[in-house]
Amino acid sequence: MSTNSPSYWTIFKNGVFGENPVFRLALSLCPAVAVTSGVKNGTLMGVAVLFVMVMVNATVSLIRNFINPKVRIPSYMFIIATWVTVTDLVMAAYARDVYKQMGLYIMLIVAFAIVLSRAEVFAMRNKLIPSMIDGAGMGMGFLLALALIGVFREFLGKGALWGVQILSVKPLPIMILPAGGFFAMGLIMGGLNWIDRKYFGGTGASSGGH
Amino acid sequence: MKDMIKVTLGLVVIFVAAGLIMGLTYMKTSPVRFIAEKKEHEEALKLMAPEATDPIHAAGKWTVHKKEREYYAATSGGKTVAYIADTAGKGYSSFIQMLVSLDMDLKIKDVNILHHGETPGLGDQVEDRKLFLDQFKGKALQQLVLIKGETKENIQAITGATISSRAVTNGVKDAVQMLVDKYGAGVKSAAGQGATHEVKHEHK
Repeated sequence: MSTNSPSYWTIFKNGVFGENPVFRLALSLCPAVAVTSGVKNGTLMGVAVLFVMVMVNATVSLIRNFINPKVRIPSYMFIIATWVTVTDLVMAAYARDVYKQMGLYIMLIVAFAIVLSRAEVFAMRNKLIPSMIDGAGMGMGFLLALALIGVFREFLGKGALWGVQILSVKPLPIMILPAGGFFAMGLIMGGLNWIDRKYFGGTGASSGGH
Repeated sequence: MKDMIKVTLGLVVIFVAAGLIMGLTYMKTSPVRFIAEKKEHEEALKLMAPEATDPIHAAGKWTVHKKEREYYAATSGGKTVAYIADTAGKGYSSFIQMLVSLDMDLKIKDVNILHHGETPGLGDQVEDRKLFLDQFKGKALQQLVLIKGETKENIQAITGATISSRAVTNGVKDAVQMLVDKYGAGVKSAAGQGATHEVKHEHK
């Protein structure tokens, strides 16, 4: 770990590549499978998570000296629940088409391990702006991961992308089911690790939850 | 002891602040949401009876599953062309809100599911027209029996989603029963043999 504070770009990049929530930290895999049967839903979920993570990290960071360590977990949970509720209410009022598709899933963001993890691991120990950037980076990493899995699953499973039919056949319908979803995720994870090792000299190893 | 009080007070402050944020957001967004939902409901009503040229107004209220709902007589130039009712069925994990429309023979014109919270992939299949929902079209009150097997005369349940299927069937049946009671005098097909709420099991 370097002793200098990492730059904002480094923090952001970390969330997208180095410690990508889905492909490196392997957090929130269940929702990642649940909403990625299509690119559209995956991307929209990613946007909601991005917003929640930025706001949660900002809030936790702002009051980090005020949160008593003994009760930090309930504190995080309540802050997360608040922002998810705000997202749900705003969506229901101003983005009704999206809300009809995604409404059931938005509330589930409360249980996402990635949001809780970043609050504890980063926002609790860093200043406001870096924390927001970490939230943005992780959120963006999650969004891109979901979009990528969505492309894979919708194209192979339905022959479509973003609801637009492209092929006249459905190459691998199992990709629409949860089993196919986990399979797709594993394949993509392996593929990305291979690319990382071959072209970027990475170790390609997953660093786990924390 | 003093430590416990400090910890508790800290939590209380956070919880109160969070509550204020949520309350404020609700205050700002719920009017917008209410107006949007009302508009969508009006448009959904029009879809239930597209040939009605007059604006559709509520003809009365009825209660199902402890909530007051409205029913309507859709008219063209003052002449009634269809009856519509707001209804709901008790599903697996939610109340399934629906609109049901009847033609002048008191047979079902259309069923439209407005809102539900059933299990994605299982219960939410009740929204699928080809798989389930279009079965209701053209049926009369006494035909609205849920069968766990193949049937053309009654309503075929979705495999793995019996409770959701039953919820929709019962919600539709309650609505049709109510409309028949209100408007059925003198219409032959309204005299059904008293449909029951059982699910018939057909053993092969």
